[in-house]
Amino acid sequence: MSTTDVGSTLPSAKPQKGRHSSKPIVKLKSTGGKKKPSKIQRREGRWAYTFISPFYIMFLIFGMAPILYSVYIAFFTWDPLDATHQYVGLQNFRDLWHDSLFWMSLRNTFSIWILSTLPQMLMALGLASILRNPKLRGRVFWQTVLLVPNITSAIAIAVVFGQLFGRDFGLINIVRGYLGMSQINWIEGTISSHIAIATMITWRWVGYNALIFLASMNAISRDLYESASLDGANRLQQFFYVTLPQLKNTITFMLVVGTIGGLQVFGEPATLGGSFDGGDNHQFSTLTLYLFKQVKDNFAYGMASAIGIAITIIVAIISAFNFFLTRRISGDES
Amino acid sequence: MFSKVKPFIMLSLGLVTALLVGTVSPATAAAPVTLTIETFGDVIEPSALIDYKKLHPEITIKTKVSSMDALSGNLITYYQSHKGPDIAAIETSYSGLWRSHPEAFVDLSKAPYNANTIKKNYAAWRWSQGTGDGGQVIGIPTDIGGLEVAYRIDLFKKAGLPTDPKKVAALWPTWDKFVATGQKYLKAPAIAKSPKSYKGFIDSGGTIFNAVLNQGTEKMYNPTTKKPDYKNAQVKRAFLTASSALTAPITTKRKGIGARYQAYTGDWYIGMKNGAYATMLAPAWQLEYIKRYAPTTKNLWNIAAVPGGGGNIGGSQLTIPKYAQHKQQAWDFISWYLSPHEELKIFRTYGLFPATDVLFNSSKHCVGTRSPGFTKALTAADCAAVRNYKDTFFGPKGSGGAPVGAIYANGAASLNSIFEGRKERGITQYFNSALGRIENGQAVGKAYSQAVAEITKSKP
Repeated sequence: MSTTDVGSTLPSAKPQKGRHSSKPIVKLKSTGGKKKPSKIQRREGRWAYTFISPFYIMFLIFGMAPILYSVYIAFFTWDPLDATHQYVGLQNFRDLWHDSLFWMSLRNTFSIWILSTLPQMLMALGLASILRNPKLRGRVFWQTVLLVPNITSAIAIAVVFGQLFGRDFGLINIVRGYLGMSQINWIEGTISSHIAIATMITWRWVGYNALIFLASMNAISRDLYESASLDGANRLQQFFYVTLPQLKNTITFMLVVGTIGGLQVFGEPATLGGSFDGGDNHQFSTLTLYLFKQVKDNFAYGMASAIGIAITIIVAIISAFNFFLTRRISGDES
Repeated sequence: MFSKVKPFIMLSLGLVTALLVGTVSPATAAAPVTLTIETFGDVIEPSALIDYKKLHPEITIKTKVSSMDALSGNLITYYQSHKGPDIAAIETSYSGLWRSHPEAFVDLSKAPYNANTIKKNYAAWRWSQGTGDGGQVIGIPTDIGGLEVAYRIDLFKKAGLPTDPKKVAALWPTWDKFVATGQKYLKAPAIAKSPKSYKGFIDSGGTIFNAVLNQGTEKMYNPTTKKPDYKNAQVKRAFLTASSALTAPITTKRKGIGARYQAYTGDWYIGMKNGAYATMLAPAWQLEYIKRYAPTTKNLWNIAAVPGGGGNIGGSQLTIPKYAQHKQQAWDFISWYLSPHEELKIFRTYGLFPATDVLFNSSKHCVGTRSPGFTKALTAADCAAVRNYKDTFFGPKGSGGAPVGAIYANGAASLNSIFEGRKERGITQYFNSALGRIENGQAVGKAYSQAVAEITKSKP
């Protein structure tokens, strides 16, 4: 019933739309100029602005204004409780450039990002292929389960992983003890702490990524697989020569989105260490954690804003790099 | 269709008139008010809120419990955006910060609050933690941490150490002796042969830093110039004392008397239960943690005096932020909740040691003290209650409980206030991190100089 309803309204709607939009085009052509849109068109344009304005007004107030304000703050020694703030020009940026802790946080951020992104992508691909298997029972259930980590509260995750990575009573070290291996002091080592954090991130996002992969895998035409199997390709070959090339754009998309998220990693290291220090020797201090430390422990809002701008610049550079990469890849396709 | 709408219209009309009448009619009963309190941990005890509701049915209290660090950060945001809860709790490690910004709070020394009239009920050094640099009163003290050592009777016995609190305290008149006792404990055959690698004498050697700091006269700021002075001799001494606990040789492979647990982490809670450490520094509020998270250790813990003589860790003040909506009602609640009567009740129920030292300081006049909301004045029995209080959870079985009331009362009576500056907590954190690095093998001198360099760079 309902489908026919939709079908019947559509044709009647089409000519109406056509009548409105076609007229001005004819007029434009007859006058020969590109400028001067008709009154109706201008009015429609005005309406369009009205309709899109709520987002932009909200964005200006809640998005753009704070950004501009924080850029302004970056040029001051800005203590939140002081009545006056001293203008210092580029001093905050100079300090940041010579700040070994900033560079260390940058290194840590990249290390954690790489440690979390690569296994995450591989695991998500594997999970998506398993979920695509037509023989799998209860597929919807498994798909739903994959999203559970993503909607779990960060605090709950921190508690559970705190139990896993505990030095003496943590599950992982207990198992290692039974296997005769030595204990790992997860939090205190540099690489081990990065692995612990990357594990938390991977656990949280792998299901979400798998579902995106699954969606784009399902969009791949069946014909490709059929012709591949006619050519004698087995399942593995089908995966590498049909599925993977078709997923190229999805993978790039997820890398771009993942980079932006990965450079802002905050919750996991903050809860693992219980402070904004990122460990006693800042061994897992990240950029955003360092930003927070400036705000919360040092009340150095100016410095924090400078770090924020630095993060923005780094994200912009990497996104530009990703953008060109995407262009190259999609260029290859055509 | 009409019949369906009519009752609805009638109802809403009725509601509107009720509202109108309610607002217009003269205030025979006090108008209902919702008080908002932002707090952390156990500062506001829920049972007290039920009692207050009986006393003031018109007041509804909403509490928001977060962590002490998050709360202090929120207060900065609130102050900047001209907002605020009606009451906010401030932990003493942030008192240095807020005392240098009394403008962010209601000055309670002024009318109609006149807080100085109740000043005599509180321990002077705790009261001063809630006074601004210009003499303003920004907060009323809640409880006293005090500082003693909680120790495991069973493990001490196993190691061949005395178990009587007096004899235990005699083991460690100084911190050096405490470290030596720790070495002796860990080298004792019965302890050393235990296969577990996690055992320690104290939960974390780093906590000694804070304890020693709080026994001095100067912390991260110079009390006279009120400027940062984190390189001073007392800080260094506290740092070296804690370092000696972290580096004390035990065996060829192991150094340090601590089990290397950070307080309030998963391992720490489990270790408290299964005897991974034999001692921990115990402010009065810590006893509640032991009871709650290690109930199976009943009669296994006891309390002895802390090395170096007294000290305090923790406690908080209740304040009224400048932009609070219901200042008078907030004050009514604070002056009731922190009155000697209610503090006594809280102490009896939850073991939070009262800051109203009129209850246990023999030089103050206790009997006959009156509190708002209580009809009877304090009796002689009330005034002896804190000092006579014994906790049956602590002390050996059949002993009738450890005399925790008397222990903490004696400790709290002899304390002086230490000046705390604006970034006290942030600066202290750098030293705590340095101690963590020493635990992981960094040289003491290098850890200290790195901490000082990091603090200097942060421009305190």
